[in-house]
Amino acid sequence: MSIRVDNIRKTFGGFTALDNISLNVPEGELVGLLGPSGSGKTTLLRIIAGLEKPDHGHVLFQERDVTTLDVRRRKVGFVFQQYALFRHLTVADNVAFGLRMLPRAERPGRDAVRARVRELLELVQMESMASRYPAQLSGGQKQRVALARALALKPEVLLLDEPFGALDAKVRKELRRWLRHLHEQISVTSIFVTHDQEEAMEVSDQVVVMSQGQIEQIGSPLTVYEQPASRFVFDFLGHINALEGLYDGAVWQSGDARLRLDTHGACPDGALTLYLRPHEATLAKTPNDSAHLPVALTARSVFGGTVTLELEPRGWGDGVLEVELDRDTWDALSPGRDETLYLLPRSLQTVTCDGDLGPRVAPA
Amino acid sequence: MNRPQKWHQWALILTAITAVVVLLVLPLVVIFAEAFAQGSGVVLENLTSSDMINAIQLTLIVALITVPVNLVFGVLLAWCVTRYEFRGRKLLSTLIDIPFAMSPVVAGLCYLVVYGGQGLVGQWLDDQFNVQLMFALPGIVMVTVFVTCPYVARVLIPLMQSQGTEEEEAAVLLGASGWQAFWYVTLPKIRWALLYGVVLTNARAVGEFGAVSVVSGLIRGETLTLPLLIQMLNEDYNTVGAFTAAGLLGAMALVTLLLKTVLEWRQSNKLNAAEETP
Repeated sequence: MSIRVDNIRKTFGGFTALDNISLNVPEGELVGLLGPSGSGKTTLLRIIAGLEKPDHGHVLFQERDVTTLDVRRRKVGFVFQQYALFRHLTVADNVAFGLRMLPRAERPGRDAVRARVRELLELVQMESMASRYPAQLSGGQKQRVALARALALKPEVLLLDEPFGALDAKVRKELRRWLRHLHEQISVTSIFVTHDQEEAMEVSDQVVVMSQGQIEQIGSPLTVYEQPASRFVFDFLGHINALEGLYDGAVWQSGDARLRLDTHGACPDGALTLYLRPHEATLAKTPNDSAHLPVALTARSVFGGTVTLELEPRGWGDGVLEVELDRDTWDALSPGRDETLYLLPRSLQTVTCDGDLGPRVAPA
Repeated sequence: MNRPQKWHQWALILTAITAVVVLLVLPLVVIFAEAFAQGSGVVLENLTSSDMINAIQLTLIVALITVPVNLVFGVLLAWCVTRYEFRGRKLLSTLIDIPFAMSPVVAGLCYLVVYGGQGLVGQWLDDQFNVQLMFALPGIVMVTVFVTCPYVARVLIPLMQSQGTEEEEAAVLLGASGWQAFWYVTLPKIRWALLYGVVLTNARAVGEFGAVSVVSGLIRGETLTLPLLIQMLNEDYNTVGAFTAAGLLGAMALVTLLLKTVLEWRQSNKLNAAEETP
């Protein structure tokens, strides 16, 4: 079932949580709402579920207006961040809850309920835990029970609020692969909320980046990353280094640092900020014709195939720059103590003086 | 927790034990000792006197009405204060404490002034329906309900606040009606606290003296509850009678205490079992 959100506005007192939001989620897709806390993503999810009423605007399921439809009749599956399992019920009874609440005429018999519960617990790989209580489960197990419970009534819409927020890094990674896999199996239109960029990138078909009650960009993970629509999106997706300096139409300069850029006239002369992603640069022992950016190495951390370096600009800029090299490049470089290194950017994002994104440029 | 080691730590513990024995246990022992001072025959005689039976019946009836009323009232109040955000919510949760803060005698007097024969409402009721509230069972029940009404709500509010509303939201999302969500989710979550509140309410309802003495009219064999009867018998120099009645109340208190301990023990056992991870 497709979901359409039309011009939704929601305020809490003087605070505008959602400012005329519109969104379209095609049937069967898995969409990630990504944004920092306070961006309105959870409020949007709760409005789609019917747990909150919008000030104005409409929510449509498959072109049917459900804005005024009661929560219990919307038939959405919802997974809470803190799982909200019924603490006084066993895992099996938690999963069976929705089936037992059905009106007598629709309620399946005792054996049918038991069979459905078993089927769901198998789906989430929790069949051996059926008689446990929620307090006896780990975070990841609770999460899976919550999911099984949400799927019990075969909802056509599945909503997940920070589904992996409360889990440790390893379980998180496992569970999100598993969710992706599960979604391929049952293919129910799903929306999940997250503040974790990596999570949104890995799990979703479409990413909706939100900030301050507004949608900044909607697109596939690749599009959002490669072609960010705004400075916020660029900022929010992964770490960036901001280089501030002056541009004269050919050379960007800041203290001892020089960078020859051809912007095809897109950037006016004057102050120009450059955003550099950590993986879009390398290091060398000598500068080259187009880039002269001296730096000193202050720290490094080796993790897997990537070496993350912390660099301090020498004679220009301030703060710390972060650059990621692959292991081989790092080994080949093997700099000495206190040796000056030179940063060689491959690609940079320009930010104009009014704060908008300019063109992406490469050193010429 | 540590075991005490220094002498002053032991001294502190000894002082506490002495205080408990002298102030709490001894009086209780004395009650039963005094009651049985002239043999169990006299106790039995006093127990079966019509005044005593009347007082026991009245006390039980008052408790039987008060407890359910305040059970429902307390749950409703706790629900309103913890589930809805509205103007005056804080004020309401402060107002709940009035019966705690006010002397019961004052409460009794207030009721007498409003609902008594000369009172505004009382007079009107008497004229229109020939109903007399004060110096009768209704008055006694009314002040008892007033005095005991905060207990259930006070026990429930912090618990319901800490438990939040997500489980109820989950239930409604799974198709439960408001009533089903309350019955299958909220009530099981709060049942032990609720029972605890009921035990406290009952203890207070049975033992209330001040407010009841003002509105009861002290009619022998009609409007004397057990605490009032004790006072009356004591003034009549019927020591055995007074202490027999006191012993009855004491026994009720002990049963209540036992119930409360069992409930707390069950509660903590449940918590421990829940914390035990595989």
